[in-house]
Amino acid sequence: MEFVSPEGLRLDGRRPTEMRQLRAEIGNVAKADGSAVFEMGNTKVIAAVYGPREVQNKSQQMSDQALVRCEYSMANFSTGDRMRKPKGDRRSTEISLVIRQTMEACILTHLMPRSQIDIFVQVLQADGGTRSACINAATLALQDAGIPMRDIVTSCSAGYLNSTPLLDLNYVEDSAGGPDVTVDKVIYVDFALNGRVKASVLWDLWLYFGSYGLKET
Amino acid sequence: MVVKEEEMVLVTPGEVLGKATEVKAGKGAYVAKHNGLVYASLTGLLRTLSPPPDSPDQRATVEVTGHKAHGPVPEPGSVVIARVTKVMTRMASADIMCVGAKSVREKFSGIIRQQDVRATEIDKVDMHLSFRPGDIVRASVVSFML
Repeated sequence: MEFVSPEGLRLDGRRPTEMRQLRAEIGNVAKADGSAVFEMGNTKVIAAVYGPREVQNKSQQMSDQALVRCEYSMANFSTGDRMRKPKGDRRSTEISLVIRQTMEACILTHLMPRSQIDIFVQVLQADGGTRSACINAATLALQDAGIPMRDIVTSCSAGYLNSTPLLDLNYVEDSAGGPDVTVDKVIYVDFALNGRVKASVLWDLWLYFGSYGLKET
Repeated sequence: MVVKEEEMVLVTPGEVLGKATEVKAGKGAYVAKHNGLVYASLTGLLRTLSPPPDSPDQRATVEVTGHKAHGPVPEPGSVVIARVTKVMTRMASADIMCVGAKSVREKFSGIIRQQDVRATEIDKVDMHLSFRPGDIVRASVVSFML
């Protein structure tokens, strides 16, 4: 299938280095300490942050830093077919871990010992790049909550189809079977390799497109 | 300390506020050890505070005030106001509602031990005669619980 036309346009009319439209709102969830809605094209996620607050499970309390917990879930209606198990499956657990590790590296946890910070991210509409949108939304929600961080974390995905590196894949391009990578401001990098691709191509792709996309975000 | 408010600048986490040799990191800012620069850690307005003229360290302090005020956190030595929830033979559980004069955003739980109720005859204290669930007490925090 042709993902990049001979004129250099993708299926949705974008150029290979063009990102989808970004929209963000903060403060949507009034009860949460911080919240944000982030949209990348048709992908829409909402993040809510509670904390720093008292640790609920005393056995996990750390005397020198804050405990960061993260939960990623997809709404039943977020994908084309109604999802059977929105959370608890392997993919959600893996993405929860990725987001938690990324945010934990960025939050100044030593300033809030014996406390807990909860990050809840839910995908309302999934059209590729949900992982990146979740990290961007979580960053905004943490800033809205006034939690001290080292830096803003931005995230973007990139892939390689029809011998062309592509930036910010949507669902169709993501499920095409080519390799793709999500880059988060060099703090944490996650690779998804399908098929055989030369390692050097992947590194070039990562360095060039990842940083290009992050500048735009 | 004199506050310079010529221009209110909005900063975001990761923005460079100055060199550690020239400015001190106050609230909402931190020093990165690898390059000695002071970065902001909160999103908010930047304020520069001049140092008092008699202090040995003549660096200005930069701080960032966020838009959301955080509730106070009790620490050993702080005076708190708590409501008793459970009374047992040797201790009573209480929820801390205020730290000093400010009320907390989310309650903290603590315990009052039998030996900490009064200064004299501490092993003859009857917890059920001293406290009842619902009582409001003023207490001084002794330590954190492990």
